[in-house]
Amino acid sequence: MLEIIALVGLLIISLIIVIKSADVFVDNLVEIGGALGISQIILGVTASAIGTSLPEFGSAVIASLSGSTELGVGTVIGSNIWNIAGILGISAVVAGSIRTGSEGLTRDWLMTLGTGLILLFFMLFGDITWTAAVVMIAAYCFYLWLLIKAQKKHSDEDGQEKEKESQNIDETPEKLEKNSEKTINKKSIAFVIVGFVGLVIGCRLMVYSGVELASIAGIPAMIMGLFTLAIGTSIPELVVTLSSAMKGLHDLSIGTVLGSNTFNILIGIGVPALFMSVPVERLSLTFDAPVMIFVTILLFVLVRKSNMKLNRVGGIILLATYIVYAFLRIFVLT
Amino acid sequence: MYDKILLTTMGEYMDEIIEHTLNLIQGEAEVICIYIVETSVPFLTPKKVKEMMIDELTAKGKDILEDMSKGFDKPGINFRKLMVKGNPADEIVKAATDEEVDVIVMGTGKSIVDKHLLGSVSEKVVHSAPCTILLVRTAN
Repeated sequence: MLEIIALVGLLIISLIIVIKSADVFVDNLVEIGGALGISQIILGVTASAIGTSLPEFGSAVIASLSGSTELGVGTVIGSNIWNIAGILGISAVVAGSIRTGSEGLTRDWLMTLGTGLILLFFMLFGDITWTAAVVMIAAYCFYLWLLIKAQKKHSDEDGQEKEKESQNIDETPEKLEKNSEKTINKKSIAFVIVGFVGLVIGCRLMVYSGVELASIAGIPAMIMGLFTLAIGTSIPELVVTLSSAMKGLHDLSIGTVLGSNTFNILIGIGVPALFMSVPVERLSLTFDAPVMIFVTILLFVLVRKSNMKLNRVGGIILLATYIVYAFLRIFVLT
Repeated sequence: MYDKILLTTMGEYMDEIIEHTLNLIQGEAEVICIYIVETSVPFLTPKKVKEMMIDELTAKGKDILEDMSKGFDKPGINFRKLMVKGNPADEIVKAATDEEVDVIVMGTGKSIVDKHLLGSVSEKVVHSAPCTILLVRTAN
Protein backbone atom coordinates (compact mmCIF):
# COMPACT_ATOMS: atom_id res chain seq x y z
CA MET A 1 0.00 0.00 0.00
CA LEU A 2 2.81 2.40 0.97
CA GLU A 3 4.51 1.65 -2.32
CA ILE A 4 1.36 2.59 -4.24
CA ILE A 5 0.99 5.88 -2.33
CA ALA A 6 4.67 6.67 -2.97
CA LEU A 7 4.29 5.90 -6.68
CA VAL A 8 1.13 8.01 -7.01
CA GLY A 9 2.96 10.85 -5.23
CA LEU A 10 5.92 10.43 -7.59
CA LEU A 11 3.56 10.45 -10.58
CA ILE A 12 1.96 13.74 -9.48
CA ILE A 13 5.30 15.39 -8.67
CA SER A 14 6.84 14.22 -11.94
CA LEU A 15 3.83 15.59 -13.85
CA ILE A 16 4.29 19.02 -12.29
CA ILE A 17 8.04 18.89 -13.05
CA VAL A 18 7.31 17.91 -16.67
CA ILE A 19 4.73 20.64 -17.24
CA LYS A 20 6.73 23.42 -15.57
CA SER A 21 9.97 22.32 -17.29
CA ALA A 22 8.23 22.32 -20.69
CA ASP A 23 7.03 25.85 -19.96
CA VAL A 24 10.49 27.09 -18.92
CA PHE A 25 12.10 25.33 -21.91
CA VAL A 26 9.73 26.77 -24.55
CA ASP A 27 9.62 30.19 -22.94
CA ASN A 28 13.37 30.65 -22.94
CA LEU A 29 13.82 29.03 -26.33
CA VAL A 30 11.48 31.70 -27.72
CA GLU A 31 13.55 34.40 -25.97
CA ILE A 32 16.71 33.07 -27.62
CA GLY A 33 14.92 32.70 -30.98
CA GLY A 34 13.76 36.32 -30.75
CA ALA A 35 17.27 37.51 -29.99
CA LEU A 36 18.57 35.53 -32.97
CA GLY A 37 16.17 37.44 -35.20
CA ILE A 38 13.59 34.71 -35.86
CA SER A 39 10.22 36.25 -36.68
CA GLN A 40 7.86 36.72 -33.75
CA ILE A 41 5.09 35.14 -35.85
CA ILE A 42 7.06 31.94 -36.40
CA LEU A 43 8.10 31.88 -32.73
CA GLY A 44 4.58 32.57 -31.49
CA VAL A 45 2.93 29.91 -33.63
CA THR A 46 5.57 27.30 -32.83
CA ALA A 47 5.64 28.10 -29.12
CA SER A 48 1.88 27.84 -28.72
CA ALA A 49 1.73 24.67 -30.83
CA ILE A 50 4.55 22.96 -28.97
CA GLY A 51 4.14 24.54 -25.52
CA THR A 52 1.17 22.53 -24.35
CA SER A 53 2.18 19.31 -26.15
CA LEU A 54 5.74 18.93 -24.93
CA PRO A 55 4.72 16.73 -21.95
CA GLU A 56 3.07 14.16 -24.26
CA PHE A 57 6.02 14.31 -26.63
CA GLY A 58 8.56 13.97 -23.83
CA SER A 59 6.78 11.04 -22.23
CA ALA A 60 6.35 9.29 -25.61
CA VAL A 61 10.05 9.66 -26.42
CA ILE A 62 11.25 8.66 -22.95
CA ALA A 63 8.82 5.72 -22.85
CA SER A 64 10.12 4.52 -26.23
CA LEU A 65 13.75 4.95 -25.25
CA SER A 66 13.21 3.06 -22.01
CA GLY A 67 11.54 0.16 -23.79
CA SER A 68 7.90 0.95 -22.88
CA THR A 69 6.85 1.89 -26.39
CA GLU A 70 3.21 0.88 -25.91
CA LEU A 71 3.02 3.31 -22.99
CA GLY A 72 4.16 6.13 -25.29
CA VAL A 73 1.67 5.26 -28.06
CA GLY A 74 -1.06 4.90 -25.44
CA THR A 75 -0.25 8.33 -24.00
CA VAL A 76 -0.45 9.95 -27.43
CA ILE A 77 -3.70 8.30 -28.61
CA GLY A 78 -5.26 8.58 -25.15
CA SER A 79 -4.36 12.26 -24.97
CA ASN A 80 -5.95 12.92 -28.33
CA ILE A 81 -9.24 11.25 -27.35
CA TRP A 82 -9.21 13.03 -23.97
CA ASN A 83 -8.34 16.39 -25.58
CA ILE A 84 -11.45 16.38 -27.75
CA ALA A 85 -13.99 14.36 -25.79
CA GLY A 86 -12.83 15.25 -22.28
CA ILE A 87 -11.27 18.71 -22.41
CA LEU A 88 -13.53 20.28 -25.03
CA GLY A 89 -16.49 18.52 -23.39
CA ILE A 90 -15.67 19.98 -19.96
CA SER A 91 -14.90 23.42 -21.42
CA ALA A 92 -18.20 23.57 -23.35
CA VAL A 93 -20.17 22.46 -20.28
CA VAL A 94 -18.50 25.05 -18.02
CA ALA A 95 -18.28 27.98 -20.47
CA GLY A 96 -21.72 27.35 -21.99
CA SER A 97 -20.47 27.43 -25.55
CA ILE A 98 -17.26 27.59 -27.56
CA ARG A 99 -17.56 29.43 -30.85
CA THR A 100 -15.22 28.95 -33.77
CA GLY A 101 -14.59 30.51 -37.15
CA SER A 102 -15.16 28.29 -40.17
CA GLU A 103 -11.72 29.00 -41.72
CA GLY A 104 -9.71 28.07 -38.65
CA LEU A 105 -11.91 25.10 -37.81
CA THR A 106 -11.72 23.69 -41.31
CA ARG A 107 -7.93 24.05 -41.47
CA ASP A 108 -7.16 22.68 -37.99
CA TRP A 109 -9.87 20.05 -38.04
CA LEU A 110 -8.95 18.74 -41.50
CA MET A 111 -5.33 18.53 -40.37
CA THR A 112 -6.29 16.67 -37.18
CA LEU A 113 -8.49 14.26 -39.11
CA GLY A 114 -5.85 13.80 -41.81
CA THR A 115 -3.25 13.14 -39.12
CA GLY A 116 -5.45 10.46 -37.53
CA LEU A 117 -5.98 8.83 -40.89
CA ILE A 118 -2.24 8.91 -41.65
CA LEU A 119 -1.59 7.17 -38.32
CA LEU A 120 -4.31 4.58 -38.96
CA PHE A 121 -2.94 3.97 -42.45
CA PHE A 122 0.58 3.26 -41.20
CA MET A 123 -0.79 1.17 -38.33
CA LEU A 124 -2.35 -1.16 -40.93
CA PHE A 125 1.17 -2.20 -41.98
CA GLY A 126 2.14 -3.22 -38.45
CA ASP A 127 4.93 -1.39 -36.64
CA ILE A 128 5.40 2.30 -37.34
CA THR A 129 8.82 2.62 -38.96
CA TRP A 130 11.13 5.44 -40.03
CA THR A 131 9.39 5.78 -43.43
CA ALA A 132 6.13 6.62 -41.66
CA ALA A 133 8.11 8.92 -39.36
CA VAL A 134 9.48 10.91 -42.31
CA VAL A 135 5.95 11.34 -43.75
CA MET A 136 4.62 12.39 -40.34
CA ILE A 137 7.34 14.95 -39.63
CA ALA A 138 7.01 16.35 -43.18
CA ALA A 139 3.25 16.63 -42.66
CA TYR A 140 3.83 18.56 -39.42
CA CYS A 141 6.23 20.96 -41.17
CA PHE A 142 3.49 21.53 -43.77
CA TYR A 143 0.98 22.26 -40.99
CA LEU A 144 3.35 24.71 -39.31
CA TRP A 145 3.81 26.45 -42.66
CA LEU A 146 0.01 26.75 -42.99
CA LEU A 147 -0.24 28.20 -39.47
CA ILE A 148 2.54 30.70 -40.05
CA LYS A 149 0.95 31.77 -43.36
CA ALA A 150 -2.43 32.27 -41.68
CA GLN A 151 -0.84 34.19 -38.79
CA LYS A 152 1.08 36.46 -41.20
CA LYS A 153 -2.15 37.28 -43.04
CA HIS A 154 -3.88 37.98 -39.73
CA SER A 155 -1.03 40.23 -38.53
CA ASP A 156 -0.97 42.19 -41.81
CA GLU A 157 -4.73 42.84 -41.58
CA ASP A 158 -4.38 43.86 -37.93
CA GLY A 159 -1.54 46.24 -38.76
CA GLN A 160 -3.56 47.97 -41.48
CA GLU A 161 -6.58 48.37 -39.17
CA LYS A 162 -4.45 49.83 -36.39
CA GLU A 163 -3.00 52.40 -38.77
CA LYS A 164 -6.50 53.52 -39.76
CA GLU A 165 -8.00 54.00 -36.33
CA SER A 166 -6.53 56.44 -33.87
CA GLN A 167 -6.60 54.84 -30.45
CA ASN A 168 -7.25 57.08 -27.49
CA ILE A 169 -7.68 54.46 -24.80
CA ASP A 170 -6.46 54.93 -21.26
CA GLU A 171 -4.41 51.84 -20.54
CA THR A 172 -2.52 50.45 -17.62
CA PRO A 173 1.19 51.26 -18.05
CA GLU A 174 2.69 47.75 -18.18
CA LYS A 175 1.29 47.33 -21.70
CA LEU A 176 3.93 49.66 -23.06
CA GLU A 177 6.89 47.61 -21.92
CA LYS A 178 7.27 45.60 -25.14
CA ASN A 179 9.44 46.10 -28.22
CA SER A 180 12.72 46.62 -26.42
CA GLU A 181 15.89 45.41 -28.14
CA LYS A 182 16.73 41.87 -27.13
CA THR A 183 20.04 40.09 -26.85
CA ILE A 184 20.76 36.50 -25.94
CA ASN A 185 21.42 36.37 -22.25
CA LYS A 186 23.12 33.58 -20.37
CA LYS A 187 20.11 33.22 -18.10
CA SER A 188 17.92 32.17 -21.05
CA ILE A 189 20.48 29.58 -22.15
CA ALA A 190 20.74 28.27 -18.60
CA PHE A 191 16.95 28.05 -18.30
CA VAL A 192 16.68 26.20 -21.63
CA ILE A 193 19.13 23.64 -20.28
CA VAL A 194 17.34 23.48 -16.91
CA GLY A 195 13.98 23.09 -18.70
CA PHE A 196 15.32 20.35 -20.94
CA VAL A 197 16.94 18.44 -18.08
CA GLY A 198 13.77 18.84 -16.00
CA LEU A 199 11.71 17.55 -18.89
CA VAL A 200 13.89 14.48 -19.35
CA ILE A 201 14.08 13.69 -15.62
CA GLY A 202 10.37 14.42 -15.08
CA CYS A 203 9.32 12.25 -18.03
CA ARG A 204 11.63 9.45 -16.91
CA LEU A 205 10.14 9.54 -13.37
CA MET A 206 6.63 9.73 -14.79
CA VAL A 207 7.15 6.75 -17.10
CA TYR A 208 8.79 4.80 -14.27
CA SER A 209 5.96 5.47 -11.82
CA GLY A 210 3.38 4.73 -14.53
CA VAL A 211 4.96 1.40 -15.44
CA GLU A 212 5.43 0.39 -11.79
CA LEU A 213 1.87 1.35 -10.84
CA ALA A 214 0.53 -0.63 -13.80
CA SER A 215 2.54 -3.66 -12.81
CA ILE A 216 1.48 -3.50 -9.11
CA ALA A 217 -2.18 -2.96 -10.01
CA GLY A 218 -1.98 -5.69 -12.65
CA ILE A 219 -3.19 -3.50 -15.50
CA PRO A 220 -1.58 -3.28 -18.94
CA ALA A 221 0.89 -0.43 -19.52
CA MET A 222 -1.19 0.60 -22.53
CA ILE A 223 -4.17 1.37 -20.25
CA MET A 224 -1.88 3.39 -17.98
CA GLY A 225 -0.75 5.41 -20.98
CA LEU A 226 -4.24 5.76 -22.47
CA PHE A 227 -5.76 7.17 -19.30
CA THR A 228 -3.48 8.16 -16.42
CA LEU A 229 -0.54 9.58 -18.34
CA ALA A 230 -2.74 10.83 -21.18
CA ILE A 231 -4.93 12.86 -18.86
CA GLY A 232 -1.96 13.97 -16.75
CA THR A 233 0.15 15.20 -19.65
CA SER A 234 -2.89 17.02 -21.04
CA ILE A 235 -3.25 19.29 -18.00
CA PRO A 236 -1.75 22.27 -19.92
CA GLU A 237 -4.32 21.77 -22.68
CA LEU A 238 -7.08 21.56 -20.07
CA VAL A 239 -6.14 24.80 -18.28
CA VAL A 240 -5.56 26.69 -21.54
CA THR A 241 -8.73 25.43 -23.26
CA LEU A 242 -10.96 25.93 -20.25
CA SER A 243 -9.70 29.36 -19.26
CA SER A 244 -9.71 30.65 -22.85
CA ALA A 245 -13.27 29.38 -23.34
CA MET A 246 -14.32 31.16 -20.13
CA LYS A 247 -12.62 34.37 -21.27
CA GLY A 248 -14.35 34.19 -24.65
CA LEU A 249 -11.16 33.41 -26.60
CA HIS A 250 -12.94 30.71 -28.53
CA ASP A 251 -10.49 30.24 -31.41
CA LEU A 252 -7.64 29.71 -28.97
CA SER A 253 -9.78 27.18 -27.12
CA ILE A 254 -10.55 24.83 -30.01
CA GLY A 255 -7.27 25.68 -31.78
CA THR A 256 -5.23 24.53 -28.77
CA VAL A 257 -6.90 21.12 -28.75
CA LEU A 258 -6.77 20.51 -32.50
CA GLY A 259 -3.20 21.82 -32.77
CA SER A 260 -2.13 19.66 -29.88
CA ASN A 261 -3.70 16.53 -31.40
CA THR A 262 -1.87 17.10 -34.66
CA PHE A 263 1.43 17.61 -32.82
CA ASN A 264 0.91 14.59 -30.56
CA ILE A 265 0.66 12.17 -33.46
CA LEU A 266 2.96 13.64 -36.07
CA ILE A 267 5.76 14.54 -33.64
CA GLY A 268 4.86 12.47 -30.54
CA ILE A 269 4.86 9.26 -32.56
CA GLY A 270 6.83 10.48 -35.60
CA VAL A 271 10.04 11.41 -33.76
CA PRO A 272 10.34 8.19 -31.67
CA ALA A 273 9.61 6.19 -34.86
CA LEU A 274 12.63 7.82 -36.50
CA PHE A 275 14.91 6.03 -34.04
CA MET A 276 13.10 2.74 -33.48
CA SER A 277 10.05 0.87 -34.75
CA VAL A 278 6.99 1.71 -32.71
CA PRO A 279 4.96 -1.46 -32.18
CA VAL A 280 1.21 -1.31 -32.73
CA GLU A 281 -1.13 -3.19 -30.43
CA ARG A 282 -4.09 -4.86 -32.11
CA LEU A 283 -6.60 -2.99 -29.93
CA SER A 284 -4.96 0.32 -30.79
CA LEU A 285 -5.58 -0.38 -34.45
CA THR A 286 -9.09 -1.79 -34.11
CA PHE A 287 -10.44 0.38 -31.28
CA ASP A 288 -8.36 3.31 -29.91
CA ALA A 289 -7.34 4.90 -33.22
CA PRO A 290 -10.87 4.52 -34.72
CA VAL A 291 -12.35 6.09 -31.55
CA MET A 292 -9.88 8.96 -31.90
CA ILE A 293 -11.03 9.52 -35.49
CA PHE A 294 -14.68 9.12 -34.45
CA VAL A 295 -14.49 11.83 -31.75
CA THR A 296 -12.73 14.13 -34.22
CA ILE A 297 -15.62 13.71 -36.68
CA LEU A 298 -18.17 13.97 -33.85
CA LEU A 299 -16.68 17.32 -32.80
CA PHE A 300 -17.02 18.67 -36.33
CA VAL A 301 -20.64 17.45 -36.63
CA LEU A 302 -21.59 18.98 -33.26
CA VAL A 303 -19.97 22.32 -34.10
CA ARG A 304 -21.52 22.52 -37.57
CA LYS A 305 -24.97 21.50 -36.30
CA SER A 306 -24.94 24.25 -33.66
CA ASN A 307 -24.07 27.10 -35.99
CA MET A 308 -20.29 26.96 -35.61
CA LYS A 309 -20.23 26.55 -31.87
CA LEU A 310 -19.89 23.73 -29.42
CA ASN A 311 -22.67 24.21 -26.93
CA ARG A 312 -23.35 22.67 -23.52
CA VAL A 313 -25.35 19.77 -24.98
CA GLY A 314 -22.50 19.06 -27.40
CA GLY A 315 -20.09 19.10 -24.46
CA ILE A 316 -22.21 16.58 -22.58
CA ILE A 317 -22.35 14.33 -25.66
CA LEU A 318 -18.55 14.46 -25.94
CA LEU A 319 -18.08 13.71 -22.23
CA ALA A 320 -20.56 10.82 -22.41
CA THR A 321 -18.63 9.45 -25.40
CA TYR A 322 -15.42 9.55 -23.38
CA ILE A 323 -17.00 7.77 -20.42
CA VAL A 324 -18.37 5.02 -22.70
CA TYR A 325 -14.96 4.68 -24.37
CA ALA A 326 -13.13 4.49 -21.03
CA PHE A 327 -15.60 1.92 -19.68
CA LEU A 328 -15.34 -0.30 -22.76
CA ARG A 329 -11.55 0.01 -22.94
CA ILE A 330 -10.89 -0.66 -19.25
CA PHE A 331 -13.58 -3.18 -18.34
CA VAL A 332 -14.72 -4.89 -21.55
CA LEU A 333 -11.92 -5.01 -24.08
CA THR A 334 -8.84 -5.45 -21.88
CA MET B 1 -29.54 63.51 -13.14
CA TYR B 2 -26.54 61.37 -13.98
CA ASP B 3 -23.60 63.44 -15.18
CA LYS B 4 -20.91 60.80 -15.08
CA ILE B 5 -21.68 57.22 -16.09
CA LEU B 6 -19.43 54.19 -15.95
CA LEU B 7 -20.36 51.61 -18.52
CA THR B 8 -18.96 48.10 -18.38
CA THR B 9 -18.89 45.61 -21.20
CA MET B 10 -17.31 42.33 -22.18
CA GLY B 11 -18.61 42.65 -25.73
CA GLU B 12 -21.99 41.02 -25.26
CA TYR B 13 -25.41 42.66 -25.47
CA MET B 14 -23.86 45.98 -26.38
CA ASP B 15 -27.01 47.29 -28.08
CA GLU B 16 -29.17 46.77 -24.97
CA ILE B 17 -26.56 48.35 -22.71
CA ILE B 18 -26.13 51.37 -25.02
CA GLU B 19 -29.91 51.84 -25.26
CA HIS B 20 -30.42 51.83 -21.48
CA THR B 21 -27.46 54.13 -20.91
CA LEU B 22 -28.78 56.64 -23.45
CA ASN B 23 -32.12 56.59 -21.63
CA LEU B 24 -30.34 57.72 -18.46
CA ILE B 25 -28.84 60.78 -20.09
CA GLN B 26 -30.71 64.07 -19.94
CA GLY B 27 -28.72 66.87 -21.51
CA GLU B 28 -24.96 66.51 -21.17
CA ALA B 29 -23.04 63.62 -19.66
CA GLU B 30 -19.66 61.99 -19.52
CA VAL B 31 -19.72 58.28 -20.37
CA ILE B 32 -16.69 56.19 -19.43
CA CYS B 33 -16.69 52.76 -21.02
CA ILE B 34 -14.46 50.28 -19.23
CA TYR B 35 -13.14 46.98 -20.59
CA ILE B 36 -11.22 44.76 -18.23
CA VAL B 37 -8.54 42.43 -19.52
CA GLU B 38 -8.75 39.56 -17.07
CA THR B 39 -5.18 38.50 -16.47
CA SER B 40 -5.66 35.61 -14.08
CA VAL B 41 -4.95 32.15 -15.46
CA PRO B 42 -4.95 28.75 -13.75
CA PHE B 43 -1.78 27.19 -12.31
CA LEU B 44 0.28 25.36 -14.95
CA THR B 45 -0.80 27.62 -17.82
CA PRO B 46 2.27 28.05 -20.05
CA LYS B 47 3.70 31.59 -19.76
CA LYS B 48 3.73 32.19 -23.51
CA VAL B 49 0.09 31.13 -23.78
CA LYS B 50 -0.80 33.51 -20.95
CA GLU B 51 0.93 36.36 -22.80
CA MET B 52 -0.93 35.38 -25.97
CA MET B 53 -4.25 35.38 -24.10
CA ILE B 54 -3.61 38.87 -22.71
CA ASP B 55 -2.67 40.15 -26.18
CA GLU B 56 -5.84 38.62 -27.68
CA LEU B 57 -8.04 40.04 -24.93
CA THR B 58 -6.44 43.47 -25.32
CA ALA B 59 -7.08 43.45 -29.07
CA LYS B 60 -10.64 42.26 -28.48
CA GLY B 61 -11.16 45.01 -25.88
CA LYS B 62 -9.98 47.70 -28.29
CA ASP B 63 -12.49 46.51 -30.90
CA ILE B 64 -15.30 46.43 -28.34
CA LEU B 65 -14.52 49.93 -27.03
CA GLU B 66 -14.39 51.23 -30.59
CA ASP B 67 -17.81 49.69 -31.31
CA MET B 68 -19.23 51.14 -28.10
CA SER B 69 -17.95 54.62 -28.94
CA LYS B 70 -20.04 54.58 -32.14
CA GLY B 71 -23.19 54.11 -30.05
CA PHE B 72 -22.44 57.28 -28.08
CA ASP B 73 -21.43 59.50 -30.97
CA LYS B 74 -24.11 62.03 -30.09
CA PRO B 75 -24.13 65.74 -29.17
CA GLY B 76 -23.71 66.44 -25.47
CA ILE B 77 -22.00 63.13 -24.72
CA ASN B 78 -18.35 63.07 -23.84
CA PHE B 79 -17.28 59.43 -24.39
CA ARG B 80 -14.09 58.05 -22.89
CA LYS B 81 -12.57 54.57 -23.29
CA LEU B 82 -10.81 52.90 -20.41
CA MET B 83 -8.94 49.61 -20.56
CA VAL B 84 -7.48 48.06 -17.42
CA LYS B 85 -6.01 44.72 -16.43
CA GLY B 86 -7.05 42.70 -13.45
CA ASN B 87 -10.08 41.20 -11.75
CA PRO B 88 -13.26 42.53 -13.45
CA ALA B 89 -15.35 43.18 -10.31
CA ASP B 90 -12.45 44.79 -8.39
CA GLU B 91 -11.45 46.99 -11.31
CA ILE B 92 -15.03 48.17 -11.95
CA VAL B 93 -15.43 49.21 -8.31
CA LYS B 94 -11.99 50.86 -8.32
CA ALA B 95 -12.72 52.80 -11.52
CA ALA B 96 -16.11 53.91 -10.17
CA THR B 97 -14.43 55.17 -6.99
CA ASP B 98 -11.49 56.86 -8.73
CA GLU B 99 -13.62 58.53 -11.38
CA GLU B 100 -16.36 59.44 -8.87
CA VAL B 101 -19.11 58.34 -11.24
CA ASP B 102 -22.81 58.76 -10.46
CA VAL B 103 -23.93 55.41 -11.81
CA ILE B 104 -22.52 52.13 -13.08
CA VAL B 105 -24.34 50.46 -15.98
CA MET B 106 -23.73 46.77 -16.53
CA GLY B 107 -25.44 43.76 -18.08
CA THR B 108 -26.87 40.88 -16.13
CA GLY B 109 -28.89 37.85 -17.01
CA LYS B 110 -26.80 34.72 -16.77
CA SER B 111 -28.71 31.49 -16.25
CA ILE B 112 -28.47 29.78 -12.85
CA VAL B 113 -26.15 27.15 -14.35
CA ASP B 114 -23.86 29.83 -15.79
CA LYS B 115 -23.85 31.75 -12.51
CA HIS B 116 -22.73 28.65 -10.63
CA LEU B 117 -20.14 27.61 -13.19
CA LEU B 118 -18.76 30.98 -14.24
CA GLY B 119 -19.63 33.30 -11.35
CA SER B 120 -21.27 36.68 -11.68
CA VAL B 121 -19.31 39.93 -11.92
CA SER B 122 -22.47 42.04 -11.45
CA GLU B 123 -23.30 40.32 -8.15
CA LYS B 124 -19.81 41.06 -6.80
CA VAL B 125 -19.99 44.70 -7.94
CA VAL B 126 -23.42 45.18 -6.34
CA HIS B 127 -21.95 44.35 -2.93
CA SER B 128 -19.14 46.92 -3.00
CA ALA B 129 -20.03 49.64 -5.49
CA PRO B 130 -19.67 53.24 -4.25
CA CYS B 131 -22.67 54.50 -6.27
CA THR B 132 -25.98 53.58 -7.88
CA ILE B 133 -25.98 50.63 -10.27
CA LEU B 134 -28.21 50.00 -13.23
CA LEU B 135 -28.32 46.30 -14.08
CA VAL B 136 -29.56 45.82 -17.61
CA ARG B 137 -31.42 42.56 -18.05
CA THR B 138 -29.82 41.06 -21.15
CA ALA B 139 -31.05 38.56 -23.73
CA ASN B 140 -30.34 35.43 -21.67
